[in-house]
Amino acid sequence: MLKLFKLLGNKRLFILLMGLILFIAVMGFTLGSRTKLSWPEKFVKDTVGFVQYVFYKPAGYVAGLFEDISELHALQEENEQLKIALSHYTRDKAYYNWIEQENERLKNDLKFTNAQKEMYDYTWKIAHVISVNDDPVNRTIVLNIGGREGVKEGMAVSSAEGLVGIVSHVSNFTATVKLVTTMDARDPNSNGIAVTAQGKENQIFGVIESFDKTSGNFLMSRIDDKKTLAEGDLIVSSGIGGVFPRGMIIGKVTDIQVGEFGLTYTATVKPAASFTDWKELFVVFAPEAEKE
Amino acid sequence: MRKRKYILILLLFLLFIVEGTIVPWLIPPSWETRIVPHLVYIAILFFSVYENRHTGLVLGLCFGLLQDIVYYGSMIGAYSFAMGFSCYLLGLLSKTRQAPLPLMMIIVLTGSILLDSILFGTYSLFGLVHEPYAWALMNHIIPNVFVQFVFALIIYVPLRRQLEIITRRRSVEDKA
Repeated sequence: MLKLFKLLGNKRLFILLMGLILFIAVMGFTLGSRTKLSWPEKFVKDTVGFVQYVFYKPAGYVAGLFEDISELHALQEENEQLKIALSHYTRDKAYYNWIEQENERLKNDLKFTNAQKEMYDYTWKIAHVISVNDDPVNRTIVLNIGGREGVKEGMAVSSAEGLVGIVSHVSNFTATVKLVTTMDARDPNSNGIAVTAQGKENQIFGVIESFDKTSGNFLMSRIDDKKTLAEGDLIVSSGIGGVFPRGMIIGKVTDIQVGEFGLTYTATVKPAASFTDWKELFVVFAPEAEKE
Repeated sequence: MRKRKYILILLLFLLFIVEGTIVPWLIPPSWETRIVPHLVYIAILFFSVYENRHTGLVLGLCFGLLQDIVYYGSMIGAYSFAMGFSCYLLGLLSKTRQAPLPLMMIIVLTGSILLDSILFGTYSLFGLVHEPYAWALMNHIIPNVFVQFVFALIIYVPLRRQLEIITRRRSVEDKA
């Protein structure tokens, strides 16, 4: 017993233990749903963010230049694909305008309230990436727009290809985005996304809750009926629940298997976004959030 | 002497910026999630070996906290704790201030494994990761060790020289 006291009398060990307790307390306190940052955090984020902005952009240009040169031979193929996409687009545009106007007219006839009409009227604001943290467990990126532009915690962030992440913390001029690769069903702070398949919106319901780090795919669980879902279907968010915007592209189904308890099915979804070589991203503003 | 030290710390900050902005562009896309070099940490290890382990501790805590706040995804404190603790520990282990190159490289190797292991331990303690340690080891810890080793070899000569100038002047001042 005396020996134990002597050991604790060691100043260095005492400080170490106190430090350990302090750090675990800080980690536990900052873990979870903290919505607002304190001003020192905001100050540090904004100052560092400014310096990072100066560095990231030129680096991106130089890297992009080398990439362009190495991909010169693929240009013709890309051009062809773009032409096909453009012809599809012009065809769909005529069709879309028709449907949109009909939709508008029907909404008016059914006396939709203003809030109901504008519910899915999202605005996509462009943002530049200013730095990247590739920590395998805690992957985040920092964007150059923040609280001043109206960004709030929980907003969806998308690249041109598909859903990338969710805004986790906002300072005045920067916003940190937690990538969807950190999604985990067993983590109480990570929310699932209600999803459906494009073109089968009324038949398919599923939830994307976790990202398999070893294979690099999402797991779409709680699918009731696997008959309508096929491999190669494009999975988009359905907006059920109202928190997460609808129509965010998530990925393609590669495999469907029986789920954990044998009652539902689980599909493996290959992400549409590449999660590498970040340049411009879009923050999706829901109309409700703008009004407040 | 003071001025030299401040310039070195400013360079550390510059390295921190480079780590988040330029390094991701240099890593090939297929390796981007697997190589996450902690360059600042390696430089701070030199501080704690060749200058003073308490300097290493303070620098590790500060730059770890900076990393935690700027890339605040799920929690604050993981990097700060891991960097401060392992810098102090490795400074404690290498008692001589005249550590030769092989010893320093062994310190860098153990240091990088230690940092990533503490980080992984913290994350699994708080339930952010459920994969086994063997996965982390193969996925990012071992690739990191190689990159950080090469980085340590590059900065060894210039950084050690600067740090020795600082400590030599200090010992001269102490004697006088």
